[in-house]
Amino acid sequence: MKVKLELFGASRDLSNKNFLEFNIEEKISIKDFKKKIINYVDKNFKGNEYYKKIIEKSAFCSEDNNIIPENYKIIKDQKIGIIPPIGGG
Amino acid sequence: MLHAKIIDLKKEKIEIKKAEEFISSSKFGASLVFKGTVRENNQNKKVTGITYDSHDAMVIKSFEDIYNEVNQKLKIKDKAVYIEHVKGYVALEEISIIIAVACPHRAETYILSRYIIEEIKKRSPIWKKEHYENEESEWLKGNPIQAN
Repeated sequence: MKVKLELFGASRDLSNKNFLEFNIEEKISIKDFKKKIINYVDKNFKGNEYYKKIIEKSAFCSEDNNIIPENYKIIKDQKIGIIPPIGGG
Repeated sequence: MLHAKIIDLKKEKIEIKKAEEFISSSKFGASLVFKGTVRENNQNKKVTGITYDSHDAMVIKSFEDIYNEVNQKLKIKDKAVYIEHVKGYVALEEISIIIAVACPHRAETYILSRYIIEEIKKRSPIWKKEHYENEESEWLKGNPIQAN
């Protein structure tokens, strides 16, 4: 299945598009999906620690704009948003 | 009565006048307009501007949630609330956020305005990238989002 990861805030530096795409073979929890993103950083950014920290501290949201827990399972093609630590105002 | 919007600075401007018009009513004896602006210094670095990013749909939802819970949490029933936050590049002294509130009495306006900005800081997915005098820039660290 294809998971499209929409990028926001500091995570936008991971791509010059607004998203990353992952091909994943079977259903996956958010916790394990996070590891896939960290693997992507290892491969494409020489394990950049700053990016890894951002991913570790991020929350994730579903297509219906709700924060989803780490045990949430992705079971089909879908969009997931990464929500790095926030600070508006 | 709530107005909640993200202003994309590539397409439109954020304006205090619109906020004042929205909250104006003879029902209310007190009104307060809070604006956040870009300041020139942060952690001993000379700031030249900030680029704001946002997850628009979640931000609007968070504004609505904050507004809707005020009845119960603050016991403020009669109110007009106007919230706009920008996205895009904001230069020094320019406005990043407007929170305008009106209530029957002054005490409620101070409580309500403060409550809204503090909750936005905790719950609205908005990010800042600061730009500095030496042409460097960085995303501010922020805090993990709190679900309500």
